[in-house]
Formats: sequence, structure tokens, C-alpha cells
Amino acid sequence: MIVAEQKHLEEIRRMIAPYDKVVILGCGTCMTVCDAGGEREVSFLHSALRLAQAKSGDGTHSFLEYTVKRQCDPEFIDLIADKVSEVDAILSLGCGIGVQALAERFPDMTVLPGVNTSFMGMAKESGVWDERCAACGDCRLEATAGICPITRCTKGILNGPCAGTKNGKCEASKDMDCAWILIYKRLERLQQLEKMRRYYPPRNFRAIPRPKRITSKISSTGEENG
Amino acid sequence: MYSSTTDNAWGYQTDKVKKSSFDHSLMPPCQAVCPLRMEIREYVDLVAQGRIMEALRVIRDGNPFPSICAYVCTHPCEEACRRNQVDKPIAIRALKRFAVEFGGDRMVYAEADTTHSEKVAIVGSGPAGMACAYYLRKLGYPVTVFEAHSEVGGMLRVGIPQYRLPREVLNTEVQRLAQMGVEIRTNTRVVSLDLLFDMGYKAVFITIGAHQSIRMGIEGEDSPGVIDGATFLREVNLGLKPSLGERVAVVGGGNVAIDAARTALRLGVRKVSIFYRRSRAEMPADPSEIEQALEEGINILFLVAPIRVKRRNARLSVTCIKMELGEPDASGRRQPVPIKGSEFNRQVDALLTAIGQAPQMPSDFKVRIGRGSTIQVDPVTLTTNRVGVFAGGDAVTGPATVTQALGAGRLAASRIDDYLRHRYPRVEKETREVLVGDLLPETIEMIRKIGRLEPPILSPEARTGDFKAVELVYDWTTAVNESRRCLRCGMGAEITSQDKCATCLTCLRICPYNVPHLDASGAIQIPSDQCLACGICIAECPAKAIILRKPYDRRQITEELHHILKSAAESKFKPFIVGFCCQYGLFGTGTLSGLWRESVAGIWIVPVLCVARVEADHLLSAFEMGAEGVFIAGCGEQCARENTAYWVNQRVGKVRKALMQIGLQPERVRAFTSGATDVEISKELDTFIEQIGGLYLTSTIMQEVKS
Ligand SMILES: Cc1cc2nc3c(=O)[nH]c(=O)nc-3n(C[C@H](O)[C@H](O)[C@H](O)COP(=O)(O)OP(=O)(O)OC[C@H]3O[C@@H](n4cnc5c(N)ncnc54)[C@H](O)[C@@H]3O)c2cc1C
Ligand code: SF4
Repeated sequence: MIVAEQKHLEEIRRMIAPYDKVVILGCGTCMTVCDAGGEREVSFLHSALRLAQAKSGDGTHSFLEYTVKRQCDPEFIDLIADKVSEVDAILSLGCGIGVQALAERFPDMTVLPGVNTSFMGMAKESGVWDERCAACGDCRLEATAGICPITRCTKGILNGPCAGTKNGKCEASKDMDCAWILIYKRLERLQQLEKMRRYYPPRNFRAIPRPKRITSKISSTGEENG
Repeated sequence: MYSSTTDNAWGYQTDKVKKSSFDHSLMPPCQAVCPLRMEIREYVDLVAQGRIMEALRVIRDGNPFPSICAYVCTHPCEEACRRNQVDKPIAIRALKRFAVEFGGDRMVYAEADTTHSEKVAIVGSGPAGMACAYYLRKLGYPVTVFEAHSEVGGMLRVGIPQYRLPREVLNTEVQRLAQMGVEIRTNTRVVSLDLLFDMGYKAVFITIGAHQSIRMGIEGEDSPGVIDGATFLREVNLGLKPSLGERVAVVGGGNVAIDAARTALRLGVRKVSIFYRRSRAEMPADPSEIEQALEEGINILFLVAPIRVKRRNARLSVTCIKMELGEPDASGRRQPVPIKGSEFNRQVDALLTAIGQAPQMPSDFKVRIGRGSTIQVDPVTLTTNRVGVFAGGDAVTGPATVTQALGAGRLAASRIDDYLRHRYPRVEKETREVLVGDLLPETIEMIRKIGRLEPPILSPEARTGDFKAVELVYDWTTAVNESRRCLRCGMGAEITSQDKCATCLTCLRICPYNVPHLDASGAIQIPSDQCLACGICIAECPAKAIILRKPYDRRQITEELHHILKSAAESKFKPFIVGFCCQYGLFGTGTLSGLWRESVAGIWIVPVLCVARVEADHLLSAFEMGAEGVFIAGCGEQCARENTAYWVNQRVGKVRKALMQIGLQPERVRAFTSGATDVEISKELDTFIEQIGGLYLTSTIMQEVKS
């Protein structure tokens, strides 16, 4: 799941300042799950913005609030197209993808990001999320016992641990587990320690061609993949 | 103005609006077993909130004579109460007694207009007859009640002893019937129904009860000194003082036996024993009454039955035999079997028999009789084999209970109405689903155990000298605390639509009772038979996909807040502070009531049904409408669950963060939890008020400086 955090209210207020009528648009999928932009947060932000406006005495914004099931699919966005036509800007509480999907769908509309999209991760417990995947496009989790060194090692090294490991913790912070020690221990448990002996050539992440696209369509000529 | 749940782009908005005005609550087990289907959960909750008059209104809506039931109802609701599975059931009858007494039921005035010309005759003035008369009058029919005895009330008058039902209570209800214009003819035994029709009555309701004592069928039963219990009680209740001697034995194990024994004791009999042929577990009498009889010194001999009575020297020699329990019989109870050679003798001055009663039907009634001399009726229409003749109560069921009789009377009134209006009987369909299923052990484990608070009773010494009422009424605090134990079965949370649910698992992770779970398809389910309606998940659900099943619960905080803020904005007092306070017992029992500062001081209180239901949004709304400070006050130890304070603090923390980002002082919002004394919380609140006053002053000065 994509995890994000709502932006500071001040930043949001600065962004919306030029626009009178603003729709706060939530997303019913990842942003709901990570507490950043579901219907409840839309409503809370709405109240907070109104309160801020009332207290500061300046600004005469009027707000609308909606939440769509998924901002990253144009069909869902279509459902609110007529509502959007009444406003001056969209404050999206969707992730960066949602913001862009909206911008694409409404070419003449300003779309503002209300959250900072942070990472792909999972819930550790209710209200706490941890990063787990960097979407590097070349998954090595087979070799690392299901623990991703790219996201969980501070340095993202592929042949760890480095000399900074101490009592299973990382030198960057003693509260943080050393990912490579975790990998070692789990490989040991799975009796696959030989995987530690392999050498993985460094990867140049800058060389990954962007933007990427994946298609599951079979090409009509029939001479697919092979 | 508030962040109302907005309409939405997924097409379920209309659906949701519809849903939000719909009562999805399930009928709780207490109500389902009540012959009158009383809204027990609702009035118990109103008592818990200290809204006694409203509780009384709910009670009166479902029961024509609530103060009678408050004394003598056999409360099947308490046996069915699900709190039984946790610790002890809610003391429902005692709470009803509290509500009728503190709510002023005596003052309620009943009126009725005559809108129909068809006269109805009711034969018998027991609870069935009284209820039928009450409802027929309400429907506008002229009604006459014929009663063989000199006084009205049936077994309420001539059966149940005064120490369990004071006669003032009964008299008030009888007077109310007269007030409504019911014609009452006492000392009038009806012997022929044809006569009633000749007199112009268009319909007859027979409720003659079951007054004929069943004989034991043993040798010497007709000896002087063997008295049937029902007759004995009737004589005492009608003012006679039969002399019984020093030692009395009673035969039987039901309420009549216990009542006869305790009545004998109150007439001055020195030694009273009860012979019962089964063991205590099978005894049909109410356990608390058995307990009270034992406390009063009555000796109960279990597994004992008389087999012979001999009169010798003006005394009775009763030969008894010991019994043991064999195979279960048709009633499901284990059949007593005599133990050979275990006979023993007892010398008594009188033997009271109370092993059951049957109706005594005048032969000229010409109605079809079934098992145990009871009248046969159609269970839906209550009609007998004779046109225009209906029957109900003990006369149909055999000896039963007051509430069953009242239920029969109410049903008869509407069936007679159908008959007289030439309609097919309107069979009311229950639209609400009945809650079935026990609480799971996991749920029970998480419920705070709070012992049942019994109403006070007179000590055995204080009560056996005369016929004073034994059970007393709760005081306010005890009643409120007892009613707060109710689990509010069947009014919990539900997911508005699975489509809206993001399956984020928040509810599953935070529920204090571990109720939500994932079904096999990966959807969240909140089982209605486990949820206890705390409302925590509703405030925490990021998709706003959960609501409470009762529409009132859903709207309550928003509506109250709106109302309060309107008054606050109109009031001249500035600055004002809004407090969300637990409504139970009017701002929590005792401790929180100290928060009540009157609106003059600029404190406006939004009563909430547990602070766990207050959302972060509600707090912001109060600020937006002009509050300078906002607080939440909950009940700490008295709360039904332990983690309410945690969630309140989470939400306060969230609002504080937002206030800071807006440039307001986070101290403006605070949570209070009542401790042991009201002094502490009052002091804390005073400090808070002062603080807010200070902040207000500074900000006004700053504003003036600016301009
Ligand atoms: C000692 C005792 C204690 C009880 N305690 C409880 C209790 O604690 N809780 C509880 O729920 N139930 C209790 N009951 C049962 C309860 O009282 C009865 O179930 C209930 O009263 C039945 O109501 P009814 O209207 O059908 O008949 P009844 O109350 O029996 O009334 C019938 C009336 O019809 C009159 N009548 C009979 N024949 C004629 C006629 N031909 N013409 C005119 N009038 C006639 C009778 O005089 C009587 O007044 C008790 C019963 C007894 C005997
Ligand atoms: S706990 Fe309350 S709602 Fe549930 S059965 Fe008992 S009285 Fe009724």
C-alpha cells in the first residue's frame, strides 16, 4: 500500500490562498487506510480549514468535500466531474498518483497535493506504518530471505552487512534493526546461508528508464514476448 | 455547518441517507421474552442517563399498569438478560419500580373519549380484564367490568399478599380505570353470557382466572384444618384473620405456596414449614422469594410429600414420605419418586395446600373447555367457540403471570376492536429482527465486571410483624449505576456498505471487545450479537463507513452540539467554553455533576452517551462556532470500558496538533477523567476556565493593539 502524510496546515492554506472555491477530494483506497486522506480526514481538514479561516479573519474560501473510491482511475474521477466544474481548485488528498490522474482528467483545473506521498509499506500496528518496497523493478527478495535491503538498510547496500552493524542494530540509529543481520538470521533459520556467500553486483538506480510502463495486453499481431 | 457526512461520489450517498434514518437495531432478548414486549433496553438506558420522566413514558407506552408490574412481575427479562453471561442480569424490575416512583407515575392522568356505541362486557377484573378494559376505553368503546368479589383486581387483590403489592398501588390503577370511564360492577358474578348479550353487550371477554384449588387426592384431605391456599390468601386479603394455631405446614413449591407460608407467618403462626416434593433447583417459585422466606425462618422440606392426614385431638397428624428424583417428565423436570419405608409424621395445627389452581367455569357459559378446565381459544383471534365471546388470562392458560394476563388483555382489546369493526384481525408483524446468540467467551472476557446492585429490602425482623412492603426502592445513584450495567444488546455498530469500507482493519485492531473480524471473503464483519455499541470504531474509521444501528444514536452529538452552539452564540456571555460530558447519570454519576456550571458562567455542556463517541471533528466544530475552549469529561472508573480515556486523549491530541498549526494555543482543548471525588475535577475545571479566560483576554488585547 502507498503511505502518505497530510501536509502541514500552513502549507495547505498557502497553496489554496488564490482560490475561492476549493474541493477537498479524498481517496477511498490507500489514503483511507493510512489515515492521510479518507473521508474522515477530508472532513477533519475541512473543519480545520474553516476554523483557521474563522480565527485569522482573512480568506473567504468556500469548501466542498468528496471522497472517491480511487483517484488513480479515471472512471472513478468521472463520477465527480460535474462537481469539479463548480470549483476553482482541487485539493487532493490522494497520493501523488491521484493528483496526477486528476490533472490529466481536468486539463483546465488546478490540482493541489494535500499529502506528502512517502513510501510503499505496511501497518506495523494500528496507526503506525513502515516502508517495505522501493519499486526498484528488479526484485531480489528471493536471495535476501524476503527482507528488502534497499528499503530496510539505511544505506541500501546489496552485499551487507557493513562495518557499521552493532548488536544487530544499525550505526545510523540504535533503534533501527540492521537489515542485513535480519537477513542473515532468517537465512540461517531457513538453512539457506549459502545465499550470503553470493556477490551481487551494484546496481545503478539512475539507469532505470523512466517513466516505466507495464502492459498486460497481448499485442494483436500475436507474436508476443516468446 | 459541521463536517456532516458528506454525500459521496460512489453512488451510495442516497443509500446512506436512507440508511441513516433507519432503525437497524435488533430486538434484545429481554424484550423478546417479555409478554408485553416492553422497550426495556430503552428505558434502562434513559434511567442510566438520569432521564427518569422519559423512562416512565417509554414504560407507560408498553404497559397499562407499570406500577403493578414494578412490584410483582416475574421478570422473565432478567432470566433472558445477556448480562447473565457476564456476571448477573440487570435488575430490570427494580429499575422499573425506580422509574415509576421517581417519575411520578401516580400523577399520570388517564382519559378516554367514547367514540363507538358498541358496549363490551368483561367478566373478571384481574389484570387481563383490567388491561382489556384500559385499551378498549382508549379505543373509544363503552366498557363494563363484572367482578364476583367485592373488590377489583383478581389475584392482584385476593391472591398476591400486600407485603408484595401494597394495595395503594393497585387502588391507584383501579381509580385510573374509573377515571377513564370504565364501568365497574363488583359483587356481580356472571352466570350466563346470553344474559349479557340480552343486556345489549356486543362482545364479551372472559377473564375469570384460575381460582379453584387442585386437590391433593390423599386420605384425610377433607379433615377440618386442611385449607386450600388460594382460599386462605383470599380470606386474608379480603380482611379476615383466620386463626391457624401454632404450627402450620404448606404443601407446594410455587409462588402461592411461598405466599401462603409467609402470610401465615405474618398472622402470628410460630412455626411454618413447606413440603415440596422436588429439590430446590426445580422449585418454580421465584428464587429471591424462596430466599426471603428462608430468611424469615420458614423451614422448607425438600423432596417430601404428604400421603395421609389424620385429625387427632384438634391437631393434624400428617404422614409424609421422602422422595428422590427419577427420570424427567413431560415438563422436563425430574419426576419425584417415593422412597419406600421413608414415611415420617408431623404434627401441625393446619395444613395449607397450594399445588395449583384451575378455572371454575359456570356451566351456562357454554364455551368449549380443554385441558385442565381451561377455555379453548384461537391463539391469534382469542375467540372461543361462541360468536362475539373472547377469552384470555389464567382462564385460558391455567395459572400464569400478571404480564401474560396483561398481554392477553391488550391483545383481546385489539381483537375485539377488529371484530366490532368487521375487520380481519390485524396481525402485527415484528419488523425488527430478534437478537439471538450468546456472547462469545472472548467478548465476555473484555467486559468490565460490575456486580448487580440489589434494591434494599426490609430486614426479616422489620417485615414479618405485619404486611409492610418487603422490597424498597433504589436511591437515584444506585439506580443509575445499576442501569449503566446494561450491555445495550443489539444496538451496536454496522458497516454502512462494504463498498465504502476500505478494509483498513482499524476497527478490528482497536475494538475493546475484539468484535470485528474478517470473513472468509476478506470483508469486515461486525456481528450484531457481540457489538456493545461503545462507538469507538465509528469515530476512528477513516472511511466513515461505520454507523450505530439506532438513528438517534447516530445524530445525538451533532444535534446536541448544534443546539448548544446556537444558544451559546446568542448568549451575551463571552468567552464561552463547550464541554462534552458523559450524559450517564446526568454528566456521569455523582462525580461529573460538579461540572454543571449553568450557562451563565459561559460553560455549555453537550451531553454525550459516553465520551468514546466524541469525534475530533466535533471538537473543531465547537471552536469554529466561537468556543474559546473545549473540554471532554468522562467517567473514569464508572465507564463501561477501560480504554475510553485512551481514545479521548488520542482525539484531543489530534485536535491540539491542528490548533497549533492554525496558530491557536493547544491548551484550549482538554480531557478530564473523573477521579474519586468531584472536588478534584471541579478544581481542575476551574483552573481550565481561568486559563481560557486569560487566553481570551490576551487575544482581545492583541486584536485591539493590531487595529
Ligand atoms: C398467591 C398468588 C401469587 C401470585 N404472584 C404472582 C406474582 O408475583 N407475579 C405474577 O406475575 N403473577 C403472580 N400470580 C399469578 C397472577 O396473579 C395471575 O396469573 C393473574 O392474576 C391472572 O390474571 P387474570 O386476569 O387472568 O385472572 P385473575 O387475576 O384470577 O382474575 C380473575 C377475576 O375474575 C373474577 N371472576 C371469576 N369468575 C367470575 C364470574 N363468573 N363473574 C365475575 N367475575 C368472576 C375473579 O373473582 C377474579 O377477580 C400469583 C397468583 C397467586 C394466586
Ligand atoms: S443487557 Fe440490557 S439490553 Fe441486554 S438483555 Fe440485559 S437489559 Fe436487555
